[in-house]
Amino acid sequence: MPRAAVIRFPGSNCEFETARVLRNSGIDARIYNWNDIERLSDNRADAYVLPGGFSFQDRIRAGVIAARESIMDLVFEEAVNGKPILGICNGAQVLLESGLVPGWKPGSVQAALAGNLAPGRSGYLSGWIHLKAAPEAVEKCPWLCAMNEEPIPVPIAHAEGRFVFREEDLDRVMSHIGLTYCGVDGSAPHGWPGNPNGSLLDVAALMNADGNVLAMMPHPERSFHLWQVPPDMQGPWGDMRRNSSMKDLEDQPGPGAIIFKSLAKYLGVE
Amino acid sequence: MSKIPDREELRNVISSRGLAMTVEEAEKLAGYVDRMPTPLEFHLFDTMWSEHCSYKSSKSVLNTLPTDSPGVVIGPGEDAGVVSFCHQDGIEWDLVVAHESHNHPSQVLPVEGAATGVGGIVRDVYCMGARVTGSMDLLRFGDPEGSKGEATRGIVRGVVEGIWKYGNALGVPNMGGDTEFHPGYDDNCLVNVVAFGVVPHDRIIHSFVPEEAHKEPYVLVLTGKPTDNTGFGGATFASADLDGEQGMGSVQVADPFLKRVLSEANQAVLDMLFEKGVKFGFKDLGAGGIACVTSELAAHGGLGIDVDLDAVPVSIKNLPPEVIACSETQERYGLAVPVSVVDDILSVYNEKFELPRLFPNCRAAVIGRFNSKPVYNVICRGENVAETPINYITEGVVYQREECPMDNAAPEPAQRPCDPSKDLTRILTSISGCSRKHIWSYYDSEVQGVTRLRPGEADSCVSVPVEGSRAGLAVSGDGNPWYGELDPFLGGAHAVGEAVRNVVATGATPICATDCLNFGNPEDPKAFWQFKQAVAGIAEACNALGFSGGDYPLPIVSGNVSFYNQSTGGKAIPPSPIVAVFGKIHDHRKATDIVLRKEGNLVLLIGTRKDELGGSLFYRTCLGHHGGTVPTFRGSLEKRMADWILGVIHDRRAYSVHDISGGGLAVAGAEMALASRKLGIEFSLDSNPVTLFSETPGYLVEVDSRFVEDVTLPEFVSVAGKVCMGCSVSGNGWSVDLESLRKEWSDKLASVIWREEGV
Repeated sequence: MPRAAVIRFPGSNCEFETARVLRNSGIDARIYNWNDIERLSDNRADAYVLPGGFSFQDRIRAGVIAARESIMDLVFEEAVNGKPILGICNGAQVLLESGLVPGWKPGSVQAALAGNLAPGRSGYLSGWIHLKAAPEAVEKCPWLCAMNEEPIPVPIAHAEGRFVFREEDLDRVMSHIGLTYCGVDGSAPHGWPGNPNGSLLDVAALMNADGNVLAMMPHPERSFHLWQVPPDMQGPWGDMRRNSSMKDLEDQPGPGAIIFKSLAKYLGVE
Repeated sequence: MSKIPDREELRNVISSRGLAMTVEEAEKLAGYVDRMPTPLEFHLFDTMWSEHCSYKSSKSVLNTLPTDSPGVVIGPGEDAGVVSFCHQDGIEWDLVVAHESHNHPSQVLPVEGAATGVGGIVRDVYCMGARVTGSMDLLRFGDPEGSKGEATRGIVRGVVEGIWKYGNALGVPNMGGDTEFHPGYDDNCLVNVVAFGVVPHDRIIHSFVPEEAHKEPYVLVLTGKPTDNTGFGGATFASADLDGEQGMGSVQVADPFLKRVLSEANQAVLDMLFEKGVKFGFKDLGAGGIACVTSELAAHGGLGIDVDLDAVPVSIKNLPPEVIACSETQERYGLAVPVSVVDDILSVYNEKFELPRLFPNCRAAVIGRFNSKPVYNVICRGENVAETPINYITEGVVYQREECPMDNAAPEPAQRPCDPSKDLTRILTSISGCSRKHIWSYYDSEVQGVTRLRPGEADSCVSVPVEGSRAGLAVSGDGNPWYGELDPFLGGAHAVGEAVRNVVATGATPICATDCLNFGNPEDPKAFWQFKQAVAGIAEACNALGFSGGDYPLPIVSGNVSFYNQSTGGKAIPPSPIVAVFGKIHDHRKATDIVLRKEGNLVLLIGTRKDELGGSLFYRTCLGHHGGTVPTFRGSLEKRMADWILGVIHDRRAYSVHDISGGGLAVAGAEMALASRKLGIEFSLDSNPVTLFSETPGYLVEVDSRFVEDVTLPEFVSVAGKVCMGCSVSGNGWSVDLESLRKEWSDKLASVIWREEGV
């Protein structure tokens, strides 16, 4: 069975459910503390996940301290080796702060996750949004390879999730886009609330050039089961949720499961 | 040490140290130690005898609450209540629940006060050995558009910010709660907090040193944040009238980051201790800090303790001994463990989880030794700073307070003009009747991945807290200040009734309840009468609404009393009994929400409408009147309605269910339509204010059109209307298009309260 390492930093808080959905996807997932470097180094995994949370209390900037922890050297090495690496929410912030994504200049921060920009509010925002995958990303990203053009509803929960880039980078960033925010029908969101945080280019997830490292702000592990989808959700996923039998409610995967299913497919899980 | 002091000397100490104890209490303390008490002793007893810790005014009344039921594992008395929950893979899982107020701190420092409220209540659940799987906030604020509106709006924003900053970072999903506005809270907001979690039955931990400590040496390990001077006198502050900004220094400072790391480190330590088969005690540090945790762990285990304050990790040098011992620095726990495992424990905290690296001087350390001499002995810099017979510390004090009934004959309005379309619109776009979604949008309700129904989707939030099990947990907290103000007995009874209905409406069977009783000064006979009335109301409702069979009541398993909710100049708050009810749904897949499902379905009304609109949203919003006749509490009818609803849901015949409470039938129907977005309800009922807006307890249930042919309806059930296309509600001669109201309904709260942020 392929193995995944979920790396928790002090302040991570989504490690358990992240490991759980990986296991449910046929992958042997284990949680490693930030200082378990030796144990992990001696026993490398096939994929690595940095879960959500508030590593190091978001001191200075979200993700910046975790990005400088020694265990990230190992993650860096594995990224270069081409291993699939996923950062969810705070994990995405860590990947950007470590320079792994977009990765134009190894070790240097080339993009940022800034504070949400939403009309009339600041701070944290929770809610469900819709996502769609960039066709090029489906080709090369192990976390998106099972996706198609259908939009999926997934929740967000963050205060600093706005992808920002330097103006001169706007062209070359296009090929790094993994997921974008969209309307329920897949159309462009045209700002709030479809784009919940003011991300440039409606970016919800960004990759490195090879596509093996993905930094995504939304939480696919929280929409892993059909029963996790809100009953008032619009679109086909909402209809499926409302009309499902008791059996389907439990057995059917939720929209976010596709991220982990992609990894399983990539790693050859039957 | 000195001779026995006289009253004058004691009075001087009380005033110079800002103590809350009476001279008589100080005399009692001096008699206990047979000399002038030390500063540490004064502060320790001041905390232990504060209303907050001792329940000295309320104890005799609280004893009348029903607490016994077959599922109860631990009733009131420890840090949290415990009831049995489910069996899974050979493990018996229990539910741990706690409920507390953090009112005064939130009024003076809203962000810190509310954050610490969350931090404190989750500790009570953690220290029973449980994993915390949810929290809930019951909030009462002043009028955001009234004479103190600007201050109130700032408090609301601050409290919401404190809750999200703490709870989201801690990783505990927020399971909603409720928010009410009433000018009676202008000077004294209420922030009641509920937390709950699950623990295997054989891993419940008690907060006292175990029996084994009589045979082998046990020590006290203190772990967590280094001690500072924050929160010194916190329990005393909570037990006095609010006086302006005084008491700011008594508010504790919360750190969810440390709490999160500590929780995982604690879990690792507990796992290790269980694996080794070691007996131990575990308690969080709350009111009274080190002094309370050390003395209580020892006293409740029948032992004495020597505490060495020089061994306490501190973040400020040269603090006086009474401050080190009694400050309420957050994010700390105490463990009573045998000496043989100390090194292993310290290594988990200080090395594996690197506490000292994460926060300067944060670490676990041995600070005391238990012994068989029944004395509470504290040493600081080589000197004895407390030496007290230990049983006195936990003995407590009890007072009988006087009561005086209030005149509750408020008049009904002389006339009740009603234009259903206009009135319903007015209610849905009022601050009391609008959506609470803006508040919930700051909260993380889905961390841990176990949330089945979020705030606003159903009458209560539902989660699936035990891995591998289908058992669902439904929680709701309620309490209507407008009812409490008119009739505190009914305020208490309906707080239970509404929370029960909210849980039942999702298909869950109520298994236990907690209460937080918020009132004015108990030394005021009127306030004390209100308190007694409300408790009597809660008791009556709990006795009527037991679901365990036989004559068993719905047991109250934990709770809190918060007196002195009044400013020194102003009036007391409206009597505010707030009740949380916890329900279990055997299979979460049956959980029912409020979203209408299918055009042509029937909508049934459960509970005949009565002319009892006192305190109703209709009176307040449309007539500008409070009225006088609060809905009667009909216990046996409530129970029969609940049983019937549970049966319909269990049989999978209910498409959606919503309880009828604030705003009555019309508002309940509108909320179902708003949630469904595309469907509405055509009511086939009389269009009078009693039918549409009376808050007589009841439910609306969506069933298919064959239902009335298949099922004989009991006398309290009738057909109210049917589901139609389009997001609207209508009746004879009236109709409201809800789609055009949606924006105002959902944005109203933000546009009023967050206006200073530019909404």
